[in-house]
Amino acid sequence: MTEQPEDSELPSTQGARRSGLVYAIAALVVLLVGAAAGMLITLAAVGGDDEHPGPDSIDVGFSQDMRVHHLQAITMAGLARDRSDDAEVRQLAFDIESTQLDQSGQFSGWLTAWGQPTLAPTDQPHMRWMATAHSHGGGAGVDLMPGMATSEELAKLRGLQGKEFNVYFLQLMLRHHQGGLEMASYAADHARADYVRNLARKIQEGQRAETGLLTRMLSDRGGSPLPN
Amino acid sequence: MASGTKKNGPKGGKGGVDAVKAARSSVVSKKGAPWGLIAGITAIALLAGGVFTYAFVKINAAKEFTASDDNKDPSENINGVLRIKYTSGQHVEATQRVAYDQSPPFGGPHDGVWADCSGVVYPSAVRNENMVHALEHGSVWIAYNPDKVQGEQLDKLKTRVDGKPYMVMSPYPGLDKPISLQSWGHQLKVDSADDERVDQFIKSLRTNSYLTPEPGGRCDSNQTGFDPSNPPPFVAEKPGADAIPMDGKGSSPAASEGAMIPTTAVSAPGSAPASAPAPASATSVPSSQ
Repeated sequence: MTEQPEDSELPSTQGARRSGLVYAIAALVVLLVGAAAGMLITLAAVGGDDEHPGPDSIDVGFSQDMRVHHLQAITMAGLARDRSDDAEVRQLAFDIESTQLDQSGQFSGWLTAWGQPTLAPTDQPHMRWMATAHSHGGGAGVDLMPGMATSEELAKLRGLQGKEFNVYFLQLMLRHHQGGLEMASYAADHARADYVRNLARKIQEGQRAETGLLTRMLSDRGGSPLPN
Repeated sequence: MASGTKKNGPKGGKGGVDAVKAARSSVVSKKGAPWGLIAGITAIALLAGGVFTYAFVKINAAKEFTASDDNKDPSENINGVLRIKYTSGQHVEATQRVAYDQSPPFGGPHDGVWADCSGVVYPSAVRNENMVHALEHGSVWIAYNPDKVQGEQLDKLKTRVDGKPYMVMSPYPGLDKPISLQSWGHQLKVDSADDERVDQFIKSLRTNSYLTPEPGGRCDSNQTGFDPSNPPPFVAEKPGADAIPMDGKGSSPAASEGAMIPTTAVSAPGSAPASAPAPASATSVPSSQ
């Protein structure tokens, strides 16, 4: 064709121009790849940055899920504080309610500062942030977190009185405390922020110690832990 | 986004043609054509462009319904949300009714006792005056017409509420649409539980710290006298002439709660003189924040 002479006339210029173009394109592609990678990093930390964890982080997942977990313990403890006829049960209930209410407020405060919702989303399973939560189906998450009472169980608790109420409250709270340990322990080991790891550790240690107390109080009242 | 491939055009107008020519001719000549390289680079460029676009869209989607200082009311991104500004902190007694301006109501004077909103699915309709107080604490209330929403549709709504803090659900007899979602000052009516706006509404408004009049207000009802197993029933009849109007005349400013909302107008002009000082404190308990 017509390019034949041009080509044969200037083979070296042609080659130089061509490789220059290739370099230019390569450079642009590198930039584009870089931009895409940057965007992916941003995606991994939406609403977050170097200081703030993103929505799929352990810090956010733990804070949201543990807050939801705590809110139910607060509800159950408030119920016991409200209507138990047993001074020791009422005192423990007040201890649990006030401690977890304060912790729940810490979670909510952190999440607000991180620009994240203060509660676990209603349309997604819990505990997906625990990537190696082998015992709960990997990263798929769960609808009901370990230790959580169902609405039916809460309604049953509300309907009980006297010793029956005290025993069932202690049973539900014991299971609730035990159920939260795995999450707390995972976050204590893996969360990014030191203050998250610290509170997770305190929850893990405090609740583990309190399960001993709950078990003792339960047996004192003739009850035994709920079957798993 | 597609800059990598686009640059081929303008800048490569000449160079590109040259490259093609060169490539073509070099098939004949001794130099091997860099087709493999070109294809590879193009593939990488397309992939990178795709990843960039995907991430960009995902980031926007994630932020769209998350409240922030730049996006205080994410429900503005949702079609069909009705917004009305209501004065908070006006309490009525258990025996009083409020002449609500909306059905279901989503703001205005309310009972001093809030309906339990800690993920409760009420099987029967609950008194409006208690439900509105639950909204003031940041919950989202899903109301549905029991004649129109049943079976699978009902179950889909329940999974969004049951055991989820700051969510509450109840039938609402005579509701003009199958489903109506309420948060304080916000309402969205939809025909189906599959409508994507249901989750968008919940994401945008549940315990939204910019819009909730009393962030941190509790949802459980211990010591308030409200029994979620036996809540005060919904009253279908229109309220009478003695009902508390929407401006709160005759209601009591919530003493304990008013202190926490210093800048918003707590009491309507001329409120409270009619009722005795005692009733408000009889029904309102200090809400632990």
